[in-house]
Order: sequence, then C-alpha cells, then structure tokens
Amino acid sequence: MKKTLTTCPFCATGCMYYLQSDHDKFVGIEPSTVHSIAKGHPCVKGWNAFQFIHHPDRLTTPLIRKNGVLEAAGWEEALDLVVHTLPSLQARYGHDSIMFFSSARTTNEENYLFMKLARAVFKTNNVDHCARLCHSSSVLGLAATFGSGAMSNSISCVDEADTFFVIGSNTTENHPQIGARILQSVKRGAKLIVADSRTIRLAKAATLHLRHRNGSDVALINGMMHVIIRDGLENREFIESRTQNYEQLKNTVLRYPPSIVAEITGLTPQEIIDAAHLYATSPAAMIIYSVGITQHTHGVDNVRSLANLAMLTGHVGRPGTGVNPLRGQNNVQGACDMGALPNVFSGYQKVADEAVRQKFVNEWRVADLPAHAGLPMTRALNAAERGEIKGLYIVGEDPVISDPDQGHVRNALQQLDFLVVQDIFLTATAEYADVVLPAACFAEKDGTFTSTERRIQRVRKAALPIGGARADWEIFCEIASRAGYKYMHYNAPSEIMDEIARVTPIYGGISYSRIDQIGLQWPCLDEHHPGTPILHVGRFVGGMGCFCPAEYRPPAETPDAEYPFILTTGRSYFHYHTGSMTRRTRLLEREENRSYVEINPVDAHRLGIRDRDFVMVATRRGEIVMSARMTKDITPGVLFITFHFEESPGNLLTNNALDPESHIPEYKVCAARITRKP
Amino acid sequence: MKTITCDQFHHFLYSIREDFEIVGPVILHDGTLSLGRLTAEPLALFAGRIPFRFTSLFFPHSERLFAMSDEYRFDKSGSSAKPLLVVGWRAEDLEALEFIDEFFRTGFRDDVFCDRRQSSVVIGVSGRCGVNGEFCRISEGKCDMELIYDGKHFIMAEYTENGRFLSEKIVWGEETDSLEALLQESRALRTPEREILQTASQLLMRNQVDDDFWAEIADRCIQCTSCTNVCPTCTCFDVYDMRLKRKIERYRMWDSCQMSGFMREASGHNPLASQSDRTRRRIRHKLVDDLHRWGRMTCFLCGRCDDVCPTGIGMKAVAAEIVERFG
Ligand code: SF4
Ligand code: SF4
Repeated sequence: MKKTLTTCPFCATGCMYYLQSDHDKFVGIEPSTVHSIAKGHPCVKGWNAFQFIHHPDRLTTPLIRKNGVLEAAGWEEALDLVVHTLPSLQARYGHDSIMFFSSARTTNEENYLFMKLARAVFKTNNVDHCARLCHSSSVLGLAATFGSGAMSNSISCVDEADTFFVIGSNTTENHPQIGARILQSVKRGAKLIVADSRTIRLAKAATLHLRHRNGSDVALINGMMHVIIRDGLENREFIESRTQNYEQLKNTVLRYPPSIVAEITGLTPQEIIDAAHLYATSPAAMIIYSVGITQHTHGVDNVRSLANLAMLTGHVGRPGTGVNPLRGQNNVQGACDMGALPNVFSGYQKVADEAVRQKFVNEWRVADLPAHAGLPMTRALNAAERGEIKGLYIVGEDPVISDPDQGHVRNALQQLDFLVVQDIFLTATAEYADVVLPAACFAEKDGTFTSTERRIQRVRKAALPIGGARADWEIFCEIASRAGYKYMHYNAPSEIMDEIARVTPIYGGISYSRIDQIGLQWPCLDEHHPGTPILHVGRFVGGMGCFCPAEYRPPAETPDAEYPFILTTGRSYFHYHTGSMTRRTRLLEREENRSYVEINPVDAHRLGIRDRDFVMVATRRGEIVMSARMTKDITPGVLFITFHFEESPGNLLTNNALDPESHIPEYKVCAARITRKP
Repeated sequence: MKTITCDQFHHFLYSIREDFEIVGPVILHDGTLSLGRLTAEPLALFAGRIPFRFTSLFFPHSERLFAMSDEYRFDKSGSSAKPLLVVGWRAEDLEALEFIDEFFRTGFRDDVFCDRRQSSVVIGVSGRCGVNGEFCRISEGKCDMELIYDGKHFIMAEYTENGRFLSEKIVWGEETDSLEALLQESRALRTPEREILQTASQLLMRNQVDDDFWAEIADRCIQCTSCTNVCPTCTCFDVYDMRLKRKIERYRMWDSCQMSGFMREASGHNPLASQSDRTRRRIRHKLVDDLHRWGRMTCFLCGRCDDVCPTGIGMKAVAAEIVERFG
C-alpha cells in the first residue's frame, strides 16, 4: 500500500491526488483533501487515472520500421538511427528542414530539455507544440493587451466573483473542478452569463444564456462595450490611469449598436444590453473562456475583445475578476512557459533578442543559437506536405487525431523522409513513424506540471517505467550526448528545474524543495518570492494596458446550400483529448465509446433521423459515420461532434483555415451536411 | 476493563507488528488524513474522520480477482500472509462496515471480500477523541475492541474473542469501571441529522418528492463520482479483463451509479438515462430501497459524500432540502 502524491494528467485544472500502488501495480486513486483545487474530489477522469498505466497496449520497446513494418528494436539501434538521420537531413536540406513537436502532456523539465535539444544541439527554432491548436490566440491576444498571455487570476477567485461571463468554455465538462466551483458560487448568489450556442450544463444555472451564432463573438463583445459606453458604465478612472488607446476602441465599438449586433449574432438587442449591464455594474466580474474563443480564424481578435471589455470596466487585477483562459492539457501552460514555441525561449524570452540569446549561449555553452523564429506547428505540416520539412520528431502528440483536416495531416506525414514518435501507446500518428520510442507515463517519472492558474506542481514517480520504456527527459539527454553535446547531464529532474530557474525569470524562485507539498504560482522571481496568485494588480505586466479594438469577421466557412449546417467541435467530459489514455480506461470507455453528433430534434425530424440512428456527416474535407444524439441543448442548424474517436475521427471534417496571427485552426466552425445512413 | 495511555497503546501496537499487518489513521505527504501502515510514528487517532472510503481495506478501488493462463490454468489472487489489524474507526464507520459485511456475506457470498475480512481484527475509537476533544459516539459492540477516550486514557472495551485475546496481551494499564458515565453521555448525544434523514426517507416512501426537484438537483451534479467513491456502504463494482500475452487477468473496480454507462444496455437503451433519474436513485436507494431490503437505511451519516461533493448535493444536504421543501 503505497500512496504517491502527484498531479492529474488529464487537464490543466491541476488537481493533486495520491496514486495508490501495491507491489508496483496501480490499484486506485485517493484524493488529497487539503489541495487547494482538488479538495478531496477529483473529477471522473481523475478518479480513473490509474488504469491505463499498465495497460497491455503500452509500448515497452523501441520500434524501427524495416521493410515497411515496425519491428521491435533495441534502444542503442533506435537512438543511433535518430542521431544519425536528423543531422544528415539537415546537412542535405538545411538546418530548418527538421521540426520538433513537443508535448503539453510531458513535464516542464522535459519541455525545457526538448527545446534545448532543438536549439542547442540541432540549431533550429523549429519547435512548437499543441498550444498552437488551443491557446496560441490567448498568448498573442493577451500579450498585446495586458502584456502576459496567461490566466490573470486564480481558480480560487471563482469563490470571490459576483458575476461570471463564461464564453466558449464548457467548464463543467472540461475543467470540472472549476465548473463545479462556478455552480457553487451561483448557488451562493453570484450571477452567471453564459455565451454558448449549446445549452451546456452551466447554461442551466445561468442568469443569462446568450445563444449567439457560432463565430460571432467579436460582434457580441463589441456590442456589449457599445452599450457600456453609451450608458456611461465604463470605469473612467481605470481607463485613464491604467490604459491607453481608449479613443480608438470607442470609435470601433461605436459601430456596433445592439440592433446591428443582434442581426449578426441572432440575439435580441435586449439580451446584449442585459449582458452588458450585468457585467459592467458588478463589483467583481470574472471572464472565463476557453478554446471556443481561441479556435477561430479570428481567435486573436476574440481574445483582444475580451481583454478590452475587462479593461473598459476595470475588472482586472483584483480578486474575483480578470480574463481567464482555461488551458486544456495538463501541462500546456508549462510547455508554453518552457519555450516549446518557435519564437521564444523559456519564460517568453524572445529568440530574436540578442541579449537573451547570449544568456542561453552562456548557460548552454554553445557557440551560437539561431536568431530567426521557427515554424509554428500548423505551418510545419503544410511545409511537410510541400516537401520542405523532411524530418519530424513528435513527442506525446497524435496530430492525426488532434489536428484539423485529417487527410491533410496524413498526407503531410507520408511526405516526410523521417518521422520519430515518442509516446506511451502506438497512436495513429505512430503508425507513420520510422522510429518509435517508448516513453514513461506521468506515474513513472519525476517532474512538474504547470496548471492553468500558473501553479507549478510536482509529478512523482510511483513505479518504475513499464518494460523498457524510459522517461522522456532521459531519452533527450541520451540523444544529446550521442549527438556530441556535453551539457545535458542531470542526475534527476530537480537539477533541470534548477537550470530552468537560473535562466527563466518568472520561474526564478522555483525549486523542488519549495513546491514539495503545494505548488507556487509564477511569476515567482526569487527564492523568497511568494508567487503571484493575481496578475496585473495596480499595474499591467506590460505596463499600461492597451485597448486593441477588433472588427467582426465571419468564419472562414459558413453554411450554404450544399453544406447547410454549422459544424462545431468540442470534448466529452469522459475523454481526454485523443483518447489514448481514457479510451483504455474501463469506466470512461464504457461511458462514451463511440463518436456521436448532437442534432436538434427539429432538424432531425425534418431529415428523418431518430435518436441513435447512424448518420453520415460530411464537410468539404471528408465524411464520417457516427451515431446521432438528439438534444434540444443544441440550436437548430448546428451540429456538434467530438474528436476523441479514432474510428470516426471528428478532425477528418474540420477546417484547417488558420488565424493569420496565431496560426490556430478554425476547429469551432465549418459548414457540414448530415444524412441518415440507409 | 483496563485503561491505557496513548503512548502505551502505540507501544503495544508496535510490539505486535510482526503478528499483524497494522493499519490506522496516518497523515500523508501534504497533510491529508488517510489510512496507512503503522510506523514508528504514533497513529493519528485524534485527527478526525478519515475522509476516504475506509472500507477500501476490504473492498479496494480496484483489485485483481484471478488470472487465467492460455492453458486455462486458474490462479486466484492470494491475500496477505498476516491478519489485518485495523485501528481508528468511528461508530458510524463501524455501522457501515457491519452493513457491507452483511451485504457481501448474504446470498451469493463474495469470497474475495470475506476472505480478507474474516482474518481481520477491528479496533474502534470513540469518546472524547474528536479533533477539538468533542465527544464521538460509542459503538457499543460493532467491532472487536473499542478504545473509549475519557480525555486522558483509553478505556478498552472488548467485544469479541479477538478483542479479549488482544487485551490479554496488554501488560500495562489499570482496571477501571468508569465507563458508565461515558456511555450515558454517548447515548444522550442528540442526533437531529438522523431525524432529518428519517423524515426524508418517509417523504420519499410516500412519493411526496416530485420529479422537478430531482431535475433541479441533477443539473448541479457534474458526475464526478466522488460521492459514490467515498461512500463506505457503496458496494457496486464493475468487472473487466486485461488481456496480457499469455493470460487474461480479471479485475474488479468500484462502479458508480452516477454514470450513464452504469445501467445502459448494449442496445443503447438506458433505464437510468437522465442524471435526474440517477441522482434520485443515489438517494432513494439508501433511504428507501435498502430499508425494505435490509431493514435499515444504509446511510449512517458519516458525512463523507457531503464533504466531497463539489456542488453541495451530498446525502445530508439533499435530505435537508427534501425535508425543507416537502416536509
Ligand atoms: S478536473 Fe482536471 S485535473 Fe482535476 S481530476 Fe479532473 S481531469 Fe484531473
Ligand atoms: S459528488 Fe456531487 S457532483 Fe459528484 S457525482 Fe456525486 S452528486 Fe454528482
């Protein structure tokens, strides 16, 4: 009976609990009752997070493709192949002909080492990870307005807010502990505005449920700001003392009176006015959003608009306020913080900045580091399709299932000369690999994850890795030393964190001894710094807040005669991302074991579709068969699917149209057709 | 009856650690109170109720039942060599244990549970042993031995052969007869929550709680399954197989009636299709159905589900709301 305190691998809420093991076998979960978020109750995924660890499908030995087939191989052979092939591709096609996809599921230490591997050893900034697909819009949008792209407040602020504005977040399903806390606050009397075309669980408790047309967020938010200024509800003092560019914002939102916004959004003018008044007149109002805001061709504009709204009313920098992007994957915040991004080192320090580069040159003891930004992940797949990227090293990601327009992704992977996949299961992506490296999962290694509230928390090794699997950080160190680089030796992940703290100001005060029981929230500048629960108190991280007005632009694809429905995507509460872990977990897989499409009964009747019928959903990218789920929770004219199921992958249908700034794909809106399968 | 100090009790346990696997309340790494093996540290007998499902000692979150090789050789999972000695459960915990004992023994006897349970010895704790010295009800017989704290000493009440056997091994201690006053104090404890629960049970039985109520409560349930996972009288489990290279292993693990897959048929039809049906079942089962089947309600008011429910709809909260609205 061993109980190991660790952090949940299933979402960025960051609950901690104890993994129970018996003779190195995992037998259950026991909640931490004192952890500030988990408080004794993980969500259903957390409660089941032990079962996949020793699933018989786990990869236990490296695989190498021989005569077209993946065959078991030794570590020596596999690592040598990687270390020889990547440089030889670079020698032939240039340094930037290879690309590194890091992983939001691995630890901070591993993300840091992987970007160090790309930059210091392979001399390329071509490193990115799946934040590109979820919150790259937040990083840009909030950096432009507030100067920092992370959640401004803490999860505990939910208890202190008087009003919530939840938009593009199905919080109870995807960040269950945060969603539950919102429900509790509402029960205590807080007001709740939910903007979502679906009647999600939160909407049932909402004071005001705005079912605005998918993709019309900028218009809605501009409309709210119009009303706030028109009715004199803006926070003059805050605007004057803490922001700039107000006049420009005013001029823009002037063009969005409720009557016009009502037409764009499908709401009534009164709904827009009510929402504006409720948000603006609350003592403390908190904006909570997630990928329903970011995953649009106008994702950055959406984020900026939310930041504008918060600044206009002064709902920033105090308890119970702020603009709060809920990050998805367990360590997507950390992967960004660690600089697994093409343009920054750890702590968002720009690669283009000479002084910053010099600091890393010294720490890493290399002659130089590349100065120009690398490719974002979405662009890299396009480049691979064109034959410009030749080698790809993917860690803990399954783009075949998770990226938009699956046909395009498969094609891109096929074009590669060399693909390395490092994962815990043989994913759909790994089937294209030339080399597969078996990694240890969260329960088999030490490290840290950073939760959505910027809290750096410990992950602990509760058992040895299964079979011949190795921790990702150890694999990276092996590769570096085989490639002739001498400065990637660590006895334990705590030493990697010490290096991170040395070169990363916002992590400057982090060490394993300080986060032994409960994590600290960055910025944590030195060893005495208590961490920062709330950003932008008294002053924005970037100095003055900057209003960045945005104009409404429609989505890249809108319904037409051939594809008359709006197709939108999301997640099921019971599955985590591509399902490689949760679909190998008995109760979770039992709960939701096949793809489904939500359709309003009005549409269903018209098309002769009944509940649980098999239907074909088609877009310009392809078609998949799934089971119909009739529900009034979805508006007529809209279809909703998830992307967890490899057998009928939702992302075969989605559109790879990208936001021009963040390069995020428009997962949330495309045009589709649905027919009953005969 | 003997009295014994906390220190003496700890020394006693320590001295018999070769003969028993001793488990009791311990503080985990971050301060969480839990059950753990005895170490040189004294057990946390005064730290309050163990928040987790303590009956997991006998009915764990998941366990291997057996393995079958591809030659159909059957390998039953063995239990540990030493008998288990459990210390530190409260009166309501012991009532819950008594119920699941009956549940797993009645009719189709559950060998896995019963084997583990049979060889175990349970020592309850009561008296002035609350976190702030408050009085915890005396179980008066639902364990092998009860340690009743009078503010200074434990008074040892032995209820079974096992209890007497242990007590005889204790060389320290003085004889006392001061239990009567403590017993009276225990019996005089007011139990308003029990009355509320009984009233709620009757209202449910008389069908006076309407469907709208359940829909409203259910809208707040996020299906985390925490309530059923910490409940000491929840006994539902699901069985699944792991196919390894040369054998199949069969496991069981806790199930939860709060999940839609709990009753869903292969066709997709589901007798408990809505969350409101499932919430109603969770409450009604313990307050009404079990009363018919086992002669008593199977909520013993330990409060664990109320402590963990992230949206405030544990048993006590719902019962109170039922009584308030329909009583
Ligand atoms: S809310 Fe997120 S972090 Fe917490 S238990 Fe559930 S999946 Fe894990
Ligand atoms: S603990 Fe509360 S929210 Fe969780 S399943 Fe039980 S009733 Fe629902």
